Amino acid sequence: MNCLDYRRALLVGTGESDAMSVHRLQCAGCAAEWQEQGAFEQALRDALEVPVPQGFAERMANAQAASRRKFLAAAASVFAAAGAGGFYLFARQDPLALAGIDFVMKEEANSIMMGALTRSEAKAELAGTLPIERMERIGQVKHVRPCPFNGKTAIHVVLMVPQGKVTLLVMADSTVGRMRHAEKEGLHAAVVGMKRGSVGVVGGDLDVVESVAGALKG
Amino acid sequence: MGFEDTVRAHAAALFRYAYWLTRDRAQAEDVVQEALLRGWRAFPRLRERAAAKAWLFSIVRNEYLRAAGAPVPESLDGVDLADERSDHSGLEMRDALLALPASYAEPLALQVLGGFSCAEIARMIGTTEGATMTRLTRARQALKRLVAPAERSAGRP
Repeated sequence: MNCLDYRRALLVGTGESDAMSVHRLQCAGCAAEWQEQGAFEQALRDALEVPVPQGFAERMANAQAASRRKFLAAAASVFAAAGAGGFYLFARQDPLALAGIDFVMKEEANSIMMGALTRSEAKAELAGTLPIERMERIGQVKHVRPCPFNGKTAIHVVLMVPQGKVTLLVMADSTVGRMRHAEKEGLHAAVVGMKRGSVGVVGGDLDVVESVAGALKG
Repeated sequence: MGFEDTVRAHAAALFRYAYWLTRDRAQAEDVVQEALLRGWRAFPRLRERAAAKAWLFSIVRNEYLRAAGAPVPESLDGVDLADERSDHSGLEMRDALLALPASYAEPLALQVLGGFSCAEIARMIGTTEGATMTRLTRARQALKRLVAPAERSAGRP
């Protein structure tokens, strides 16, 4: 490395490599340049670090929560204004999605009490529909067990995502087109199609349910 | 790490990055707020949680571009820093940064505030690693000229 290479590399700002360090220790001119560059980098950092508004992170978190509440309130007011007929046109209460909510309210606890499959069993059970690895990309799989659902058998999955718990019902024999929705008793459900079968997602927050459903869609 | 913790960990850097995109504190807040709302909705789809920081920076960038309606110039062609040298030498560093075109200031902000490598920055701004290194080099050269004392700058050929 020569002086020109050294000084060019310094200007990129990625720090000093071993080769650069060896050169600097042998070259007084580049050692002086290195010191000057250090002071320049500190001044640059100080200038870029503009003051952040006080309590900014907390305000951002609160603003998000407020936006979600506003969205849900707006949706609720549209439903109320539209009346029952309009409601079903605007956001059809899909029977399969409603069955998912009913499952969470009435059957989920039983499924959990009966115990979960081992990971290898769960992996084998889900392999043909919704591979467990795809679920693990978005959260932690806490429970997997086949259960009677809607007159057939579905795989019941409890998935922990950063925003909380969601329930999945993996249905190998049910196919759906576009995403279907339902809301009941403060729970939201979405059903989306996969390459084979479909998956129902049930949770307490519409955004989370839709986001998880979108992520799992095949 | 959950989304809220991720936001808390990176909120300051995101605000500063947004500031250097918008050059306006109020707009920077708006951009970050909108970006985080989008980020929260998409967070479950993020496959590599270790990449959350770069992901959030990219969302802030996209939100800025969406709000501004015009992309950050990708090319340095046509940007002549020689004029800025003669007009603005002797500036404080922050004023010198404000005098830089966004296409120079942005990679610097990503590197210094975000701690991203040249390869990461290249992916985020949609260019090559080599082009990113060129921008970083030219940005530092330009800043050095801009903050140099006026008499020194004026005495240069």
